[in-house]
Amino acid sequence: MNLEDYRTIFAVVTSGLILMAAFPTLSMVVPFPRSAERFSELWVLGPNHMAEDYPFNIRVGEQHSVFVGVGNHMGSSSYYVLYVKLRNQTQPLPDLSNSLPSSLAPLFEFRFFILDGGSWKAPLTFTFLDVSGFENSCFVSRMMINNVVFSVDSPSTWDSENNGFYYELFFELWLYDTSLQGFRYHNRFVGIWLNSTS
Amino acid sequence: MQIVGGINLSRDLKGLNPNLVLKEPLTPRLEAVVMSNLKFVIIFLALSAFISPPFVLRTHASSQVVAASAIEKAEGVVASAYEAVLEAEEAGANVSALVARLNEAGDLLTQAHVSYRRGDFVSTARFADLCGEIGEEVRIKALELRDLAIEEAGQRFRWTMIESIVGVVAILCLSFLGWRAFKRRYFRRVLGMRPEVGSDES
Repeated sequence: MNLEDYRTIFAVVTSGLILMAAFPTLSMVVPFPRSAERFSELWVLGPNHMAEDYPFNIRVGEQHSVFVGVGNHMGSSSYYVLYVKLRNQTQPLPDLSNSLPSSLAPLFEFRFFILDGGSWKAPLTFTFLDVSGFENSCFVSRMMINNVVFSVDSPSTWDSENNGFYYELFFELWLYDTSLQGFRYHNRFVGIWLNSTS
Repeated sequence: MQIVGGINLSRDLKGLNPNLVLKEPLTPRLEAVVMSNLKFVIIFLALSAFISPPFVLRTHASSQVVAASAIEKAEGVVASAYEAVLEAEEAGANVSALVARLNEAGDLLTQAHVSYRRGDFVSTARFADLCGEIGEEVRIKALELRDLAIEEAGQRFRWTMIESIVGVVAILCLSFLGWRAFKRRYFRRVLGMRPEVGSDES
């Protein structure tokens, strides 16, 4: 190697060292893009905090419990509302392809804030209080969620294929949007099927 | 026509029933009886008005409006508190304590909404007011924290910049000195290897 080669090596090494020394300041001035995908998790766990033993056969007056949880990976603290809804087999679910929530009115709700990378979990207990049946139909009039009684007035017809009167207790996740100054459906829902035959 | 207790009975009775025509003045005894009955009727009507369905419905509707307005106000306060927390977080502040406090406000807002759905408007207003108080407290703290974080960030930026400048200058000086020393050594070595070649580049 001649002197010019050594000069080039020196220049490159010096430039690298200068960049290293200037990097803390540059990182404060130049906005580096965050490559991580932003999303929220939503899950339901059974009474033992596991994805098993979900309530299914529901008797009148019998209390059942599940745990609902949300994880925040949105890149900043987020403000959520989780709606609890009950539907029969013919009533609408949220429309995932068009990001539309279910048109059913919520029975219960949770409002909470989660730090970025954090999660939130809450117990949900529910009881069918008044259920009446007539021939091929079943009617749930009242339901208790987290010790609060609500009028439900939800009919269900006999499902001969699966032998039961089926309802779905589902959870819709909404996220506060600062640009909208309001909540928007976050296109996430999860639910459990309940059979009120027994 | 007698006037008893400042009330013109004849006029008042006519007022109650337009078809009633008093041809003769009432006797004092009869007037006293009518007066007593009239008072009873008025009290009864007043009480009935208070417990009548329209009155109850009007009161119910009024408390519903109050409750709805309390919820709307609390939601606005919590939303602005959340936005202030976001600003503080963006400025680099540790907002975990504020988020925990906001969750208390969120719980109260949940209870307010649930009470509203159940028609319990008194509880709704109470929960919403409590939620609004916490939200306002969080908003003020978040703004303070944001200002503090911005100030700290400015200070940190100044120190970092000074450190970077000192670092760059030190690297440049050391490089220059290093290069000179290297070059001197290089030539010494080259000249030592080839003493017959007498070129002096420096």
